[in-house]
Amino acid sequence: MAIQEDRRRITTRLTVLQVASVAVFAALSISFWFLQIVENARYEEMAANNHQRTLALRAPRGVLYDRNGQVLVENRSSFTISILREHTKDLDRTVRMLSEVAGLDVNDVRAIVARHRSEPSYRPIVIVDDASLAQVAAIVARRLDFELPDVVVEEVPTRQYPTEGIAAHLFGYVGEVNDAMVAADESLKSGDLVGQAGIEKIYNPMLMGKDGAKVVVVNSLGREIRTLEEVAPTEGKRLQLTIDYDLQKAVDDGFKVARVARLTNAGAAIVLNPNTGEVLAYSSEPAFDPNAFAAGIDRATWASLTSDDQRPLNDRALQGRYSPGSTFKMAVALAGLQEGVITPDFKVNCVGGANFYGRVFKCWRRGGHGTTDLRHAIEQSCDVYFYTVANILGIDKINKWATALGLGVKSGIDLPNEVTGLVPSTEWKREKMHEKWYAGETISVGIGQGQVSVTPVSMAVYAATLANGGTRVTPHLLKAVDEGNGWKPVAAPEPQSKVEVDHDKLQAIRDGMWGVVNGGGTGNRARVLGFDVAGKTGTSQVISNAGRVAAARSGKDLRDNGWFVFFAPRDNPEIAGIVFLEHGVHGPNAARVARHILSTYYAKKLGKPLPPPPTPQDMQFDFSDPYGPGHMQGVEPETDEPVNVTN
Amino acid sequence: MLERRLYYHIDWAMIAGIFALCAIGLAQIFSATGGFTRIYYTQIYGILVGIFAMAICLTIDYRSMADKSHWIYLAVLVLLMYVLFFGVVRGGSRRWIDLGVVNLQPSEFAKAALALVLAKFFGESRRGAITREDLAIAGALTAVPLLLVARQPDLGTAVTLIPVGFAIAYVAGMPMRIIGILALVGVLVAPVAWKFALKDYQKERISTFLDPSQDAKGAGYQQIQARITVGSGGLWGKGFTKGTQGQLRFLPVAHNDFIFSVLAEEQGFAGVLVTLGLYLFVILRALEAARLAKDRLGAYLVLGVLASFTFQVIYNVTMSAGLAPVKGLTLPLMSYGGSSMIATLAAFGLILNVRMRRFTN
Repeated sequence: MAIQEDRRRITTRLTVLQVASVAVFAALSISFWFLQIVENARYEEMAANNHQRTLALRAPRGVLYDRNGQVLVENRSSFTISILREHTKDLDRTVRMLSEVAGLDVNDVRAIVARHRSEPSYRPIVIVDDASLAQVAAIVARRLDFELPDVVVEEVPTRQYPTEGIAAHLFGYVGEVNDAMVAADESLKSGDLVGQAGIEKIYNPMLMGKDGAKVVVVNSLGREIRTLEEVAPTEGKRLQLTIDYDLQKAVDDGFKVARVARLTNAGAAIVLNPNTGEVLAYSSEPAFDPNAFAAGIDRATWASLTSDDQRPLNDRALQGRYSPGSTFKMAVALAGLQEGVITPDFKVNCVGGANFYGRVFKCWRRGGHGTTDLRHAIEQSCDVYFYTVANILGIDKINKWATALGLGVKSGIDLPNEVTGLVPSTEWKREKMHEKWYAGETISVGIGQGQVSVTPVSMAVYAATLANGGTRVTPHLLKAVDEGNGWKPVAAPEPQSKVEVDHDKLQAIRDGMWGVVNGGGTGNRARVLGFDVAGKTGTSQVISNAGRVAAARSGKDLRDNGWFVFFAPRDNPEIAGIVFLEHGVHGPNAARVARHILSTYYAKKLGKPLPPPPTPQDMQFDFSDPYGPGHMQGVEPETDEPVNVTN
Repeated sequence: MLERRLYYHIDWAMIAGIFALCAIGLAQIFSATGGFTRIYYTQIYGILVGIFAMAICLTIDYRSMADKSHWIYLAVLVLLMYVLFFGVVRGGSRRWIDLGVVNLQPSEFAKAALALVLAKFFGESRRGAITREDLAIAGALTAVPLLLVARQPDLGTAVTLIPVGFAIAYVAGMPMRIIGILALVGVLVAPVAWKFALKDYQKERISTFLDPSQDAKGAGYQQIQARITVGSGGLWGKGFTKGTQGQLRFLPVAHNDFIFSVLAEEQGFAGVLVTLGLYLFVILRALEAARLAKDRLGAYLVLGVLASFTFQVIYNVTMSAGLAPVKGLTLPLMSYGGSSMIATLAAFGLILNVRMRRFTN
């Protein structure tokens, strides 16, 4: 009885257990069904995020060539060291270890990480740009030991510019895109490197190329196991510039010698083909090293560049505004001739000064030039002659012809942020100052002082327009583009304007300019044997004489600026340009620099060896102070108008 | 010893089920550890030794074994004590006896020893109904090895001893009233245990289980990864050795505690159903053996052995899907581990033993 009861109880309870087991296993099956079938897509994505990592492969930017196919700007490989936080368990430990291994200040690294903290964790935080090989080796060794699995070393193409900052302002530099740019252009994404100045900026869409991507499988420690998919980056388009490397180097050597001789380290020079507008050389000094920006500029370098009084980041060629001084006289001459006010034989008797509207305006030569015609007035840079012509013309006619020659307007060069100079007019004064233009103000303008201001680039166009006979060509830098199937020439931009100029009248001016260099003029330093160089010097004041006395103790550099405007050969010119030396004291000093450029051009044209870089001894710069004792003995003007001493 | 007659009563179907599970486990170990590694071969040796142990447990009549059960029980207690003092420390706990070639984990054998001693205790009880004294003695017999194992500390294995005592007592006729009281006590004791008995890492595991994201990089990590592993498997899985979660070590100890997750990832829901089906088949066959047992001793022995096995299977599978707190509890027959394999196969030897001898006297 008891045993039977026992049996029955055991059987019942076993049945309970059987049913319970089946029920539990059914519940388990349903749970797995839910996870694996119903929610499969969600978990599949999470699994993919776990083990797949997309690495950007940065596209090299397009290589820049000079007009003869010489490489100007290329790319080199550099290494970046980044932290990938995705699987990091202890970020601070990684930061400390990385700092130690790579020899970095741990606080700097912490600051970098903190700056990028809010970004998605799969995006690497770049800690070191352009890492040294020693750093890379140290990191890679630790990575292999699993000590730094969340630190990645990537090889990226980095811009390589010519050393010594050659044509730095022309090339510009690259830098990480900012948020505003990303918002404005949907082809850009955060972290991209884009051109920030110069050619790099203006042709950025062509130069940039298309980044590739690599999808890799990583394990739980972040180590790459294999590549799933790779889309190779597309290199940016190769660009051929109109620049001639040899000429560019001649320009830079010219500035270098001015710097070495302690004449000046600031200025600008532009050389172009006056018939097409192709820019052969382009310089602004002082320059910077664009390589410093290539892999992310460090704070100290940036601070030293931006706090430098000389403002090396400022492109003087494009953004500097200066009085043209005597180089302006050809504009006045052309206006006089074309307006029928004078003929080339029109003569003025210079006695060292002249009275206009009750004021005495002095000529730079105290004894005067005597009776002078147009050619000699240009050759000798006679101030009285041009006071007289300007006075007859009036400001508006001067404005008209100066503008036609390219002054006071934008050149249209393919570089960003060009500024406009100023050639005054009655209308300009009424609009800007709400004042009437006084005829007396025109006199100073006649010799390129007073209100006139020009940019070096516009002066180069001015030289080219005088050279080609009235066509205001658009200076440009892009000669050809390679879109992957050979060089395709880029059509030269249309000229900005064109005026009919009477050949004989223009020839008189050219003759005067030829005399400047090859006659007894002020620019004989620019003479190149066999090459009919025509040119004009200019020395312009940076401050009025009254101001000079007041500022004498300020420590500011108050020395005059020196200009040289040139083209060659005189008949059928093929090269034109300007050299501008900020505080270069005398225009003839600029002519000395120009001579090196011109002789380099001429030697290259003839296929002769190029002249070696000049030395200070070759140059024999004139440092004499025109305002010192023995030069300006008590010749103060009655007013605080700039005294018009220009040669 | 093994008469020809008995041979015909061996449950070959259950043996087939057991070895099918061993084979699946071996294949997943192969996949998770990357080929013919030392771990893979150790597992094969474990299975071979396990078959030998199973044969021994099959050969000796379970009744004579039950007669010696108090000695076996004591021997295991001695081993557990020995481990506490001289055991090999790994991962912060002292669980193994170093035998030179292999490490032995006595706690794995405690389950079978406890099943034997409890089966004998209840099976030979002459009284019709079970008394409170009986339950108290059974409780004490369970508690001694449990505490010794828990001291190692190995709470996971220790807890698997509770179902042994419970299952045998239940089938032996423990009144439902007492089951209710025990459940109530359990609920009341839980907060106290939380406060005093559990170690910090254990508390952490439980609290992270309730909200894995609160510690996504630490304790919650495994649980989240387990769910991803299982969930990303889909219906047919990613293919043998093609799983990303297990292969790339996003899920730790894939050849051990999480072998079922890896199976779910690589073989999908289909593989899960097949494997769960095999486990259920083995369990139901074992319950059948209990029903067919000639005497109460046999039925209780089967139940005791089966209880810890079933508990462990259910817990591990639940944990594999990230649905239970992560605990160092292996999946019997499949997870890597020599001692576990040998002890489990030996335990099944006892079950087969009971069924085989249902007609003998």
